[in-house]
Amino acid sequence: MKKEVVDHLFRHQYGKMVSILIKFFGFSHLETIEDAIQDTFIKATLSWRNQLPDNPEAWLTQAAKNRTIDLLRQIQAEKSRLDKINNGPSSIQLNELFLEHEIEDSQLRMVFVACHPHLKAEEQIAFALKTISGFSTKEIAAALLLKEETVKKRLSRARKSIVEKNIQFNFPEAQQIEDRLNRVLKVIYLTFNEGFHSTNKKEVVRKDLCGEAIRLCVLLLKKKQFRTGSSYALFALLCFLSARIESKTDENNEIVNLRNQDRSKWHPPLIKMGDDALSKSMEYEDVSHYHFEAFIAAEHLKAKTFEETNWNKILFWYRKLNVLHPSPSSRLNMAMVYIQLNEFKEAIILLNQIKSSDLEQRAYLLYGCYSNYYEKTGKGTKALEYMDMAINCVTNTQEKKHLEKERTKILHKFSL
Amino acid sequence: MKDYMMIFIGADYEELGLSPEQLQDKMSKWFAWNSKMQEQGILREGNALKAPAKRVSGSDKTVTDGPFVEGKELIGGYYIINVEDADAAAKVAEDYPDYDLGGIVEIREVMVFDQ
Repeated sequence: MKKEVVDHLFRHQYGKMVSILIKFFGFSHLETIEDAIQDTFIKATLSWRNQLPDNPEAWLTQAAKNRTIDLLRQIQAEKSRLDKINNGPSSIQLNELFLEHEIEDSQLRMVFVACHPHLKAEEQIAFALKTISGFSTKEIAAALLLKEETVKKRLSRARKSIVEKNIQFNFPEAQQIEDRLNRVLKVIYLTFNEGFHSTNKKEVVRKDLCGEAIRLCVLLLKKKQFRTGSSYALFALLCFLSARIESKTDENNEIVNLRNQDRSKWHPPLIKMGDDALSKSMEYEDVSHYHFEAFIAAEHLKAKTFEETNWNKILFWYRKLNVLHPSPSSRLNMAMVYIQLNEFKEAIILLNQIKSSDLEQRAYLLYGCYSNYYEKTGKGTKALEYMDMAINCVTNTQEKKHLEKERTKILHKFSL
Repeated sequence: MKDYMMIFIGADYEELGLSPEQLQDKMSKWFAWNSKMQEQGILREGNALKAPAKRVSGSDKTVTDGPFVEGKELIGGYYIINVEDADAAAKVAEDYPDYDLGGIVEIREVMVFDQ
């Protein structure tokens, strides 16, 4: 007898249950609801020790429902409502909240609440990870490279703003959809990025964060009013990047750079899904940086070997990207492409435009690129100097190992 | 073959504030351990215990309500297994999932009285 609980079931159920219960009770009870759900999981860990239920998801849903009733009993103000629930038509209503499409609808509403303009950008992502994706404060702190205290503060500020500003559990009005949707896409994008280029000390790629981002994107695309060029392009980008996840690290969990990645490990179904989404994205009028980033990622996937990479095409898309959405990281990427193309003059002009402080945790990428530039232009001492700077400020242990290997190569090449 | 009670001390999930992901991970490990012992046919019984407690004490049988100990000293549950000796029981206890949370397993032989 071998029964397994689906991966991340608890985490996903957490988000589902929060949004259903919020829909029912309202945001003023958010904290009580979060506690109640935690109780449900603890109950499950105890009672599933000896016997897994036939349908774990249904068990949790049922327990959450019962807990809902408990909550209602505890909250005196809801007393009259309880009578109605037990006897009246709202008992049917409560059951309906647990239907699959209702759950998805509630979760999506929650995503839009998390991205409400009354919340600060920094609060949005923490709140989304907590209430939609079921991450603990500790996990959020690790994922976003913050102190746990900071995360706690952001979460409580977000909760307070939602209650004080009386934010409703609704989708935005038609005229606000574009702005709010853009925020939602950004939160999804940041969540994925944090997973893909993890600043976490030990793990290079946090697949759970990437998976969460994709799940939310899929949820979004299920609703017609949220299908736009940007949302399809973002989905395409996430698919393309995910297709390479397995090849990003080797069997020792060490980083493999794009040049040395085992391209046979790239995942064709995800590439196909990305291609489909990218062509869908062009049926809409809006154009976003997600489009260009997706084109760049697609171009990398087309090359059978690193040497066959069409750098000119990639440069073309980076130029477009940098016009639409100038950012230090797109400049840095462009500089890397120029180095590949041996156009060093262009590369150094771009590099000198970037301040290391603009890249925050990822300043090591800038130093690494400088080092690469000096190495290719035959200036060994300079290359070494910058590599040391990169090594000094990188936080991820695997990245550090990788850079140290590169350092050894420089030492050899220039007999230093 | 003798019966041994494994008593689980500490690692109160409620107090530790574990995330849903961690709870699921713990649960899977408990389930795997339980199944393993069942397959080996050594598991007699076992239960998890709720935290709230009452104590009755003194000749006047005074009843007091807990908690009496801190979370790290709380008895969270037990299993009774039937194995060769105490060393074998300790071997079984290696699979206890909560050592990383500071949990402890105490192993006590169940006394058998002559008929």
